[in-house]
Amino acid sequence: MIRRLAIRRLETGRRVAAALLLAAILPFSAASAQTPSQPDALTPVEEFSKQLEAFKKTIPDLNKKIEDSAASVDRWTDVGKARKEIEELRAIVGAALGAVTDNGAVSTLGTQALNHARTKLRALEQDTRFKPEEKQFLVDQWRRLREETERATEELGAARKEFAELLRTLQSNEDFIDELIQIRQAQKALEVIQRLTKDIRDASDQLKRLIGGIKPPGA
Amino acid sequence: MRALLVASALLAQASCQPRGDVGYVEIRTVPVLTNVAGPTLYLDTFKVEPPKKGNAVLTQRVGTIKLATDGAGGQLLLCEIAVKKNRITTVTISVLERPPRCQCRNNGANRVCVS
Repeated sequence: MIRRLAIRRLETGRRVAAALLLAAILPFSAASAQTPSQPDALTPVEEFSKQLEAFKKTIPDLNKKIEDSAASVDRWTDVGKARKEIEELRAIVGAALGAVTDNGAVSTLGTQALNHARTKLRALEQDTRFKPEEKQFLVDQWRRLREETERATEELGAARKEFAELLRTLQSNEDFIDELIQIRQAQKALEVIQRLTKDIRDASDQLKRLIGGIKPPGA
Repeated sequence: MRALLVASALLAQASCQPRGDVGYVEIRTVPVLTNVAGPTLYLDTFKVEPPKKGNAVLTQRVGTIKLATDGAGGQLLLCEIAVKKNRITTVTISVLERPPRCQCRNNGANRVCVS
């Protein structure tokens, strides 16, 4: 019964994990379809774009690892093994979350890139070195870059939220399994006490019989 | 010059990133302030950037860390947060109260927020 409950809980977790991961992947694929190549962009924007691409490439691997691990959790009814699998899943999701946290590498670069694009745009709008059409062209390019960088950082925010939620789901599954282990241990302790009580009762009965069998001399 | 800039940016990031065993801290601020600056928050000695849209997720080294804000006589402790490996601990800060109040999603012993 307990095992069945654990498996049902894990299956729910797996479905949630798959759905959340899919939700995390979709905006990224949409973003990569929209983002054109930017050969003229300056360092922070380029660097952010490179880091973001690298992160996106890790998503399919991550998805496969989660699916594989979740499938093996489904097969096992051993709560100890299931807990170990969930620990491994947490490590995978934790690594993905680590890449997109607010103090993580990609997010920090995103903030830098966005600040750079905004500063550049402000400076260009007041720049008098160029002809009006040249200036307009440069301003348009930087506006496009700023908007795309804003969109990309928003997508990172969405991924962050989803990975955090996924990690919480895994945590609650693991906590549930921990509770099952504690129930099993308490059950074992109860069995030991019951056996001990029975042994004491048997010994007591034997003692009673022994005492009952004693007859004083002359009786 | 450009390579130097990239290298220095990456070096700066690397120095900010906690190493070794890490966990995650989610700070939620309620209500979500859009035009007004919220209170300055510190995780141990590091200043936390104001949460965007009332939510920030930060990588932190495993252990117990202090969440504080600026007080009259220096930093004022709001609560302590237990960070566990590959786990997320969520804390909600009620920013309209003076001083801001810390609400743990899960409470441990001695009012420490746990995952």
